[in-house]
Amino acid sequence: MASLTVKTVTVIGATGTMGANVAGIFASFGNAKVFCVGRDIRKVEKTIPRIVKSVRADSIRKNLQPADWSMLDDCIRQSDLVFESVAEDLEVKRTIARIVSENLAEDAISCTGSSGLSIDEISECYSDEQRKRYCGVHMFNPPYSMTLCELIPSSYADPSVMDSLAAYLAEKLLRTVVMVKDSPAFLANRIGFQFINEAMQYAERFKDSGGIDYIDAILGPFSGRAMAPLATADFVGLDIHKAIVDNLYSKTSDYEHETFRLPEFVSSLIKAGRLGRKSGEGLYKTFTYDNGLKRQAVYDLSLGTYVDKRKYVFPFALEMNDFIHEGDYAKAFGVLVENRSREAEICLSFLLEYIVYSLYCAQEVAYTPDACDAVMSAGFNWCPPLALYKALGQVCDVGRLVRERIPEICMNVDVDDLLRNVPESKYDYRPYFKAGK
Amino acid sequence: MNMVHILGGAQTDFERNWTKEGKGMIAILSEVVSDGLANAGISFDDICALNRENRVAAFVGNFIAEKYVEQGHLGAFLTEIDPSFYGVPSARYEAACASSSVAIDAAQTKIMAGEYDLAIVVGWELMKTVDSKTGGDFLGRAAYYEKEGKDVAFPFPKLFARLADEMILKYRLDEKRFMDDLALISSINYQNAKRNPLAQTRKWFMSLDQASTRGTETNPYIGGRLASSDCSQVTDGAVVVVLASKEFARRRGLVHKPVIKGYGHRTAPLLFDKKILENRESRYVLPWTRQTAVDAYHRSGLTVDDIDVFETHDCFTSSEYAAISAFGLTEPGKEFEAIESGMISFEGRKPVNPSGGLIGCGHPVGASGARMLLDCYKQVAGEAGDYQVPDARNAMMLNIGGSATTNYVFVVGSTK
Repeated sequence: MASLTVKTVTVIGATGTMGANVAGIFASFGNAKVFCVGRDIRKVEKTIPRIVKSVRADSIRKNLQPADWSMLDDCIRQSDLVFESVAEDLEVKRTIARIVSENLAEDAISCTGSSGLSIDEISECYSDEQRKRYCGVHMFNPPYSMTLCELIPSSYADPSVMDSLAAYLAEKLLRTVVMVKDSPAFLANRIGFQFINEAMQYAERFKDSGGIDYIDAILGPFSGRAMAPLATADFVGLDIHKAIVDNLYSKTSDYEHETFRLPEFVSSLIKAGRLGRKSGEGLYKTFTYDNGLKRQAVYDLSLGTYVDKRKYVFPFALEMNDFIHEGDYAKAFGVLVENRSREAEICLSFLLEYIVYSLYCAQEVAYTPDACDAVMSAGFNWCPPLALYKALGQVCDVGRLVRERIPEICMNVDVDDLLRNVPESKYDYRPYFKAGK
Repeated sequence: MNMVHILGGAQTDFERNWTKEGKGMIAILSEVVSDGLANAGISFDDICALNRENRVAAFVGNFIAEKYVEQGHLGAFLTEIDPSFYGVPSARYEAACASSSVAIDAAQTKIMAGEYDLAIVVGWELMKTVDSKTGGDFLGRAAYYEKEGKDVAFPFPKLFARLADEMILKYRLDEKRFMDDLALISSINYQNAKRNPLAQTRKWFMSLDQASTRGTETNPYIGGRLASSDCSQVTDGAVVVVLASKEFARRRGLVHKPVIKGYGHRTAPLLFDKKILENRESRYVLPWTRQTAVDAYHRSGLTVDDIDVFETHDCFTSSEYAAISAFGLTEPGKEFEAIESGMISFEGRKPVNPSGGLIGCGHPVGASGARMLLDCYKQVAGEAGDYQVPDARNAMMLNIGGSATTNYVFVVGSTK
């Protein structure tokens, strides 16, 4: 395998969140000269300090060269690698791809940071030769701490070029590289947003019990994640969430299809400009007063307004927290399995469904079954599904529990097949289970 | 005299913030002890059996849990992990950042004396329970607090910046070249840590360029001439090392396991000013640190030529700089030769800190000595994975407490 030398990179769309962060990764770990291209050069110049901050290194400043659209052709010609990070719109991406194609150096690699569009469809804008060196390179936000990098070769890609690129991303840029198929939303987001969107559907279903913060309290840190699912959607942005699940709803048709249907209340919030943390309000809202005091509020689905975030007291969660605090994970999982309150049952069924869907998606979208572990750990910071399988396996027969607790899913997918040979996880589940305050 | 074998051990992932995970002392101890015993092939039943004959003991190294987690009487806490520790003699040992080395020393002494067959050494510190300024003040108690620590923000970076000043004066070094050499030390440690799956900084970006660019927003000065890149970072961590008598190793068929071949332990004048006054008589900037290494060479019957890999206490780049001549890798005042020639880099003739050291791994103070001993063990046993130094037969570690006040050196070697 030829090793890849990347001295010069062009990032198109460098003022966007991902474009800026990816430019930082190439300029720091890759020590590459990076042309940061945006529509308005003043806006690009203003982005440079943000890029520097994203990797905590002023020394990379000299690697960052602001450029605007008028300089794009020239930047592409000088580059060993071109990374397109413009709006998530097929036509926009195809227009950019044609410009890249006209200027791309002979041995250069071109890629898109798309989070779910068809790589094949974009690759058609390239010549036969260029297409061999084209792929999706999907990183997660913020890439400095979330190291996942999904590499999606188009069906025309040259495997040896993809292998060298994978090696470069892993060894030089220190990414957790997972090769996945050109399938809607790829692997991590398909698994992750299935979970999040179904949690949203549950919020609607249980709106009289509290709704949004009720479901987040059920799927809290003790369930194997740093951030609860609906808080994650708020962090990502509800518009982005909608784009991902709409894409999955229209382009996939597996047994989880209905769980990708966006709940009505989310559409209404988006229409009202309540997009989440970036717009100051969404599923949650933080009121800050003149005296510095802060008040955490949540959108109440029954009232249609923000109310104080509630402190739910679920006995199963309290007990799990106590055991996790002392590092007695087996006892914590024991509580989760034994406790038959509605909240504990919802929590456990989400975790079991997550294990099953991860195994299913790994078959569909990845090349190895353990790919689902790497993507969920490095992309979402959730306890990886195979590690979770092992964790629960200490206190019960997970297969039997799946058949008992999520029978409706077992009717629609061959769980016997999925659970037949669950590979041993390489991940330690312990750091992911946290005791909430 | 009884030979002391190292059967194995475990280290927690130094990247983890246990406060953020909502976990406390029992969680970290329980995890590291069960992992460490499993790695060494010891079960809780083994401990019960040995304890019936009073042949097992535990030695806990920790600097200052009284401040960080409001808890003393730390030796007693193993009983909270598992009932097999009921009745097992256990106590806490303290010498600032060299706390777990004192615990190791106590453990090996009891084994050498024939008192016990198995010794479980645990070093730990939870430091992320407080903000960095408060933590910096707690750590001031490793110096003479009333005279060197009280009301001083981050006293230790300032003390080790004074060590840097002193070396420049003593050896008439070119200031820029010296600072560039410190930057090189930092970037080697960061690069090495990239190979270590348990290092705190393994995902962080650091280059020689970044380490040489001091006084910026991303690399601010912390104390005197030392910037952020010159400092190890506080973190949470725990380490277990399991030591055993020759007889026990023989019974278990583990005589091939590495042994502790020698040690040195010296205490220098506590006040930094007195250290400096005293070193005028010596060619070494830290004469007692040098003497500690000399003692360990003497006890092990080895010389610097026999040591294939070093783990040193780079709490700051200046302390690693001084350690180079203390180990005898160069003459005092010529440390730059070992740095600039590549001798101490991972591929070099005498790699220092293949693990990433304190700068790369993170520095949970009470755990660092045990972490170094475990890393020396891994190197000699060929279990260091991606940071394995090929054919390492003998390894030396230097662990210091305070401003190089307590000095500990251990030599770990192969029996073959």
